Amino acid sequence: MKRDERAVLVERRALSPDAQLLFFESPTLSTSFLPGQFTMLRAQGEGLLLRRPYSICSAEPDKSRFSLLVKVVGQGTRALAELPLGEDVYCLGPLGTFFQPPAEGRQAIIVAGGVGIAPFLCFCESLAQQGMIAQVLLGGRRAHDLYLKDDFLRLGMEVACATEDGSHGHRGVVTDLLPELLDRFERAQLYSCGPSGMLRRVAEMAAQRDVPHQVSIERRMGCGMGCCLGCVVFTRRPEEAEAEGEYRRACTEGPVFEAEEILWERDPYPL
Amino acid sequence: MHPDLSVEISGLSLTTPLIAASGTFGYGTEYRDVVDYSALGAIVVKGLYLNPRPGCPPPRIWETPSGMLNAIGLQEIGVARFIEEKLPELRGLGPAILVNICGSTLEEYGELARILNDVEGVSGIEINISCPNVKEGGILFGCDPDLAARVTEIVRAGTRLPVIPKLSPNVTDIAAVARRVESAGADALSLINTIPAMAIDVETRRPRLANVVGGLSGPAIRPIAVRLVYQTAQAVKIPVIGMGGIATAADALEFIIAGARAVQIGTMNFVDPSVWSRTLAGLEDYCRRHRLSSISELTGTLRAEGAMPSGW
Repeated sequence: MKRDERAVLVERRALSPDAQLLFFESPTLSTSFLPGQFTMLRAQGEGLLLRRPYSICSAEPDKSRFSLLVKVVGQGTRALAELPLGEDVYCLGPLGTFFQPPAEGRQAIIVAGGVGIAPFLCFCESLAQQGMIAQVLLGGRRAHDLYLKDDFLRLGMEVACATEDGSHGHRGVVTDLLPELLDRFERAQLYSCGPSGMLRRVAEMAAQRDVPHQVSIERRMGCGMGCCLGCVVFTRRPEEAEAEGEYRRACTEGPVFEAEEILWERDPYPL
Repeated sequence: MHPDLSVEISGLSLTTPLIAASGTFGYGTEYRDVVDYSALGAIVVKGLYLNPRPGCPPPRIWETPSGMLNAIGLQEIGVARFIEEKLPELRGLGPAILVNICGSTLEEYGELARILNDVEGVSGIEINISCPNVKEGGILFGCDPDLAARVTEIVRAGTRLPVIPKLSPNVTDIAAVARRVESAGADALSLINTIPAMAIDVETRRPRLANVVGGLSGPAIRPIAVRLVYQTAQAVKIPVIGMGGIATAADALEFIIAGARAVQIGTMNFVDPSVWSRTLAGLEDYCRRHRLSSISELTGTLRAEGAMPSGW
């Protein structure tokens, strides 16, 4: 059940000069969500109005804690990044669809760019609990954009990195690392979250090799409840092959979509 | 003493004066987990045409100071699917159900009115003649008093249900439009729809919305809405339903004192789903403090004899 719950900021961990992991304590959100789902946080600050969507990054149900990865990109994220410890915010959730674990015998391969890594920490926590090891590809502009690398290593995941400036790992984009992994694991299940261009490249590779691919789409959202229709993605489901397709809501039919449903050429977001 | 918070709008009895605004409450059931539906007198469902529509390409929303800019373009499922798939679940929830209808042609409005007339559970029709984000219909009808009156007449002829044209703020003389649709058979009026507006990213010189222009809602537009409700209520005898950025009981009271019989809440429900119970509690408290036995006594009671500048 969705709730609008008061959550108290109890800890912050700096991840880079402009990104941090915020830990909140709240009665039920930490135990009621599935990896890939998100929460709408009430905006704090002068003139700010709409809530902001954040993927749940990690959870510690025994302490009623969950975390969100926040990178400062505008007024709303700045206000949240500057929220003092002990202050509370209202969190509406859990919202949206979630990642399905890989089918028996399929190797999970995760491709994440920048803050797109956020939903995968709790996902890998649950994979680790089931004795699975995911291949995690992290991409960013610089070394410090490779958030949470050590957390994934600690969970026993295999991590490879790419940076555009070559300051850590492969010099280039994270999708450069994917063909080798897809060669190595004939039966794979892809997961991705990050910039639109990256998602699209992963989707192309997945389609070429017929690898199932779940993608988490980031959109500006007004309500998170399926009512404002502000967050749509143009999609066509396999059973609708004859139809033109339709706009579906990233907050309700997503944020996790089967990548084959998304008509990328109709997606206006910059590559 | 329990103040009476129920209101009557041209034969339509509502348990509270709070109504969910069209386009902000989906097809009525989406907020079940987090909204106290007993605080709602009615729900106006998302605008419906005869046939489904895809809506505008994204990006569709943007935030401005205390405001929300949107160009959704009336993505909707068509009236038949609404009746078949959405209405059965909505009927049992308590609030009266009002259906917002849109047409690309005058005939389409009439056809929708006839279809909805015999549908169990529908208590009234709000006529959308004010959406700023569709090419045909919408605001074109609302900005021309003659067309607004013709749409109202056609809907009136098609149904016994209360007919409520929703007016656009984008007119020079709201009183003239209001009087025309009143004469054309409207049972009540609702206002305001969003205000046509736009925002630009200066670094790229690109518009924030794919549709370039959208409609502005939220607290940013409230004083404009209060003024339009005031001018409308002065001009007509039929009840007025006010809306525009209501976030608190005090905001709702402004509209009621300006002349509204009931109010709609939209954007602020996105921000805080507890707005309904909070606002209703605030109205009850106000009635107690001001010794009003009924909230209806307050409608149109602005004391225009002098201004009140304190509390700056």
